[in-house]
Amino acid sequence: MTAEVEVLQVRPLWGGARDMFYIAIERMLPRPRSFWVFMLLALPVFFGTLLRIYPPKGLPLTGFELYGMVVALFFVRNLLPLVALLFGSALISDAVDSKTLTYFLTRPISRLSIFIGEFLAYIVTVLTLTVPCVVMTYLVLCVGTPQGAGFGAADLVQDLGACALTLFTYGGVFALLGVSLKKPLIPGLLFLFVWEGFLANFPGDAPNYTISAYARSLIRHRPAEEGLAELFSKFFGVGESVLVLGIVGVVALGLAVWIFSRREYVISS
Amino acid sequence: MTARVVFKKASRWYGPVMALNDVSFELGPGVYGLLGPNGAGKSSLLKLASGQLRPSQGTVELLGRPAFGSPDVFHSVGLCADTDAFFEDFTGLQFVSALLSLNGFDKAQAHKLAMEAIEIVDLKDAMHRKIGAYSKGMRQRIKLAQALAHRPEVLFLDEPLTGMDPQNRKRISDLMKRLGDEGRTVLVSTHILHELEQVTRRVLLIHNGRVLAEGDLGEIRDLLDRHPRSVRIKARDSRGLAQALVALPDLVSLNLEDATGHLMAEIKKPDAFFTKVQELSAKHGVEEMWVTDENLESVFSYLVSK
Repeated sequence: MTAEVEVLQVRPLWGGARDMFYIAIERMLPRPRSFWVFMLLALPVFFGTLLRIYPPKGLPLTGFELYGMVVALFFVRNLLPLVALLFGSALISDAVDSKTLTYFLTRPISRLSIFIGEFLAYIVTVLTLTVPCVVMTYLVLCVGTPQGAGFGAADLVQDLGACALTLFTYGGVFALLGVSLKKPLIPGLLFLFVWEGFLANFPGDAPNYTISAYARSLIRHRPAEEGLAELFSKFFGVGESVLVLGIVGVVALGLAVWIFSRREYVISS
Repeated sequence: MTARVVFKKASRWYGPVMALNDVSFELGPGVYGLLGPNGAGKSSLLKLASGQLRPSQGTVELLGRPAFGSPDVFHSVGLCADTDAFFEDFTGLQFVSALLSLNGFDKAQAHKLAMEAIEIVDLKDAMHRKIGAYSKGMRQRIKLAQALAHRPEVLFLDEPLTGMDPQNRKRISDLMKRLGDEGRTVLVSTHILHELEQVTRRVLLIHNGRVLAEGDLGEIRDLLDRHPRSVRIKARDSRGLAQALVALPDLVSLNLEDATGHLMAEIKKPDAFFTKVQELSAKHGVEEMWVTDENLESVFSYLVSK
């Protein structure tokens, strides 16, 4: 016995992903979480502006060096992984927590489309929040100052690339965490502060197993490491770093899709 | 009959807890009631039927495909789930249109279909308001609108009338009946027999994860009429409504709750009571009505013991 209703094909991957993206971006970008993250990312702009208005006497750093420090330490090493954790781990788990995942799972689109749409929305959201802050930091600290002379736009572009790759790789890892665990935030924080924070500055080959070590290697004009970090910090070539970060991100995303495609989500009232 | 929903010896466990046990049935066009007390397994059955869960044992087919892992069938399937979950910052129109876009409709088509569905559930006046500002009944209706909007052949409705006022209950009941008459398959879960009676005679009786009976409502109705039922009513003029209802012959008791201002009535003959409440709803501002299922539970216990 068969059903007499003609069943149409599942929607094409990219068509479904595009429509999912529009819904996801509307739910992700204009939210209080985005506002507060933006305020946090904009802190260097605020303090940089203060520095320009009230320049301290005897500051040992040039504007260029200060900018390099902010990008390497504030953005790439500390804040962007945290931003990736907040948004990346929430991709699917937010929809599960808010019980809205059912609306997506009962539409003629594949789970891969749902995931791609959500991840693209994540990338657009975090870049929308990050890029203006990095650019503004550069403008405030480097442009129009004697210290900024010699600093090229190419460095800014490379920094933006490093930020984007950092967000992509951590986003993939935390998306994997988000589809695998019910409460991904605490394990994510442990990963960032225990695994990444500790191993990246450990002697020997330990930094090879952290994302942080490859991400910070992408910043050419990073400040000199001090203390223990100076002794143990390991840096990789740009090509190697891009390759490793890309592979880690893609593998994490692949695993996340694999889990999401097979997992049952028991959503009840 | 061409079966669109087929359960074959389907069972489902959540860890050690059995939610459904060896369930088999087939549904063709028409309206079917899924009747059972809270915790009977109605929602689990609907989740299996709508492909949200896979059976632990047995098979569940939807439009000739395994229900789990066949997104293609959702061109022709609509679901009004039991969860009160929405994109709270979306307006009603945005919400329905956005979900229609996932079905592959372009912007113009999605807008048109969304408007039609919203008109059907009588939410046109509120369609530009954010869902976060909707009342419980309005939220229920917009949830129903997204399930209907793409004109599915199979509809799963989990407690669709919860929180609605009497006029909208009637409107949605008539709609379900019309959809069944058009040849669509509608499976409605409820623990309120009276709601079901207005749309269908065909019922699946479920208790403790087992389908106890498939068939006509008449027998169950007779059983239930021997058991008084509790009804909770939220109205703007609870006292006036109480005065108007107190003279009904089959009213067992009537109380006004101080804390909530709700009326709690125990009734024997639901038909006359619901008709009377419907008549009085405009005058006394009846906003919501719930039938508690403690007495239905006792009928099920009776049926199980049979």
